[in-house]
Amino acid sequence: MKRAIPLVVLVAALVVAFVLAKGSGNDNNKTSTTSSSGPVVVHVVNGKPQGGIQKITVNKGQPVRFTVQSDVSDEIHVHGYNFHKDVKKGGSVSFDFPATIDGIFVIELESRGEQIASLQVNQ
Amino acid sequence: MKRRAAILAALVAGPAAGALFPPPAAAHGIVARTDLPIPVWLFGWAAAVVLVVSFAALAALWPNPRLQGEVPMRRLFRIPAVVDVLAGAAGIAALGVTVYAGIAGVQDALGNLAPTVIYVVFWVGLVVASVLFGNVWRALSPWRAIARAVSWLSSKVSSGEPPEPLEYPAWLGRWPAALGILFFAWVELTYVNKDDPSTLAIMVLAYTVVMLVGMALYGIETWSERADPFGVYFGLFARLAPLERRDGVLYARPPLSGAPKLELVPGTVVLLCVAIGSTTFDGLENGPLWTSIRPHLISFFQHLGAGGLIADQWTGTVGLVVCVGIVALFYRLGVAGMSDVGEGHTPSELAGKFAHTLIGIAFAYAFAHYFSLLVFQGQAMAHLISDPLGHGSDIFGTSHTGINYNAISAAGIWYVQVAALVIGHVSGLVLAHDRAVAMYRDVRDAVRSQYWMLVVMVGFTSLGLWLLSAVNT
Repeated sequence: MKRAIPLVVLVAALVVAFVLAKGSGNDNNKTSTTSSSGPVVVHVVNGKPQGGIQKITVNKGQPVRFTVQSDVSDEIHVHGYNFHKDVKKGGSVSFDFPATIDGIFVIELESRGEQIASLQVNQ
Repeated sequence: MKRRAAILAALVAGPAAGALFPPPAAAHGIVARTDLPIPVWLFGWAAAVVLVVSFAALAALWPNPRLQGEVPMRRLFRIPAVVDVLAGAAGIAALGVTVYAGIAGVQDALGNLAPTVIYVVFWVGLVVASVLFGNVWRALSPWRAIARAVSWLSSKVSSGEPPEPLEYPAWLGRWPAALGILFFAWVELTYVNKDDPSTLAIMVLAYTVVMLVGMALYGIETWSERADPFGVYFGLFARLAPLERRDGVLYARPPLSGAPKLELVPGTVVLLCVAIGSTTFDGLENGPLWTSIRPHLISFFQHLGAGGLIADQWTGTVGLVVCVGIVALFYRLGVAGMSDVGEGHTPSELAGKFAHTLIGIAFAYAFAHYFSLLVFQGQAMAHLISDPLGHGSDIFGTSHTGINYNAISAAGIWYVQVAALVIGHVSGLVLAHDRAVAMYRDVRDAVRSQYWMLVVMVGFTSLGLWLLSAVNT
């Protein structure tokens, strides 16, 4: 049984490491997510989102508001919520709907299959 | 003693190093919605429960093996032969419709029946069905059904004896299954055309040809039990089921009791590591760790002259193989530690003897990871079945039913995920303990050997929890 003690300590240390890593990871995330209050604009340049896939985070029940400004003509598809809106070349299109479903959803240029944003609805 | 310390250090350092990285979009087959990450408080509770359960288990488990060899089973009823014929026909029909829809329907991942049937009903649904009801795939497999129908017909037509099947090489074991599942995981997770219906349909046809040739050469049963990747894969999970069919009769048996009977043939450990490792990679792809490594790997491959998509694919391939490798290495290290205890069992021998303890872990990973996909995308079957080609037909009047994404809340999904991992963990501990008391003459050696398995199981469960908590936000 003596031999088990260091093992117990190590396993416990392992779990603590996990929890701590998880905790710090979460703090990082909090600072990087977009607030739901301001309007979010996703700029699409050459069929790709400027600055990488944009993150839109809201709490369940709040409104989801964002605008896509695109230099290509395509259809914007919000998965899960299943909203489709066309955008013309050089034009923009806005979305405003209540966040009724929690989870993380893909927003993409439908015909290109290019993800431009991800919508996170926290519960 | 030095060697023991080194192994222990490696075992603990591996996952701990992973945990110290900060936690990383949806990548597998078809996805409209990704789960929210498990919150910190639940993560902490789950980890605590895992630890308490583990040490309680070590103290309280039985001193004599209970699940080895023949365990008492209760006879339920005889399954009529017609059930096999109907199930086989249903399997063949499903295969036909899926391939036809894939080739003739719209080339859209969510509008066409084929991707949902393959990635949700088949790949996830059958794993769950196997654990609940036993080896249902044996009856449903269209490949087995076609082969059996052909062999029945030829026995009616020709009077002569059918030719003897070739002897299946012993060294081959479950290797074809392991490589087949790895290839499927590669298609699902990294292949550029993973959700292209016609590509999938052609792969299904190719798979059908390979299976039929294999069964013709080596015999239907041998091939299905060793080399048919999905037959073997679903068959592993069926070993956990409380039901077993033997000689046409259905029996009730204690859950898990089928697992210790897993035959120790080559490739078995690899297959289980592929199962756990591919789910690990699917989880990792959704997290910040991978999103931070990925661009470097992609630019590395572009540097070597690969185009954008190809570099992306190579990056995914490396990630998948590395995940399988890490899982295998971790198991191997635990086994190496165990070989230090007692009567000089070699690591290779122990790796085989404890392989079945990984089945529950593999199921827990798959279930925790794909549960929401099954619950949500599974609902899509209602409209896809009415409009399999995506051309606007309405065969059963259900083509306008949608997916209710509020069928279960995010919190509900978390609880299911955590429960799956904890139950998988317990099943692994129970099976490992039972095998140990059967193997070691000295009960104290058995318990000591299990400290090592405990580290392996806690490691896998923590990794599973971490993957679910480290979703890109």
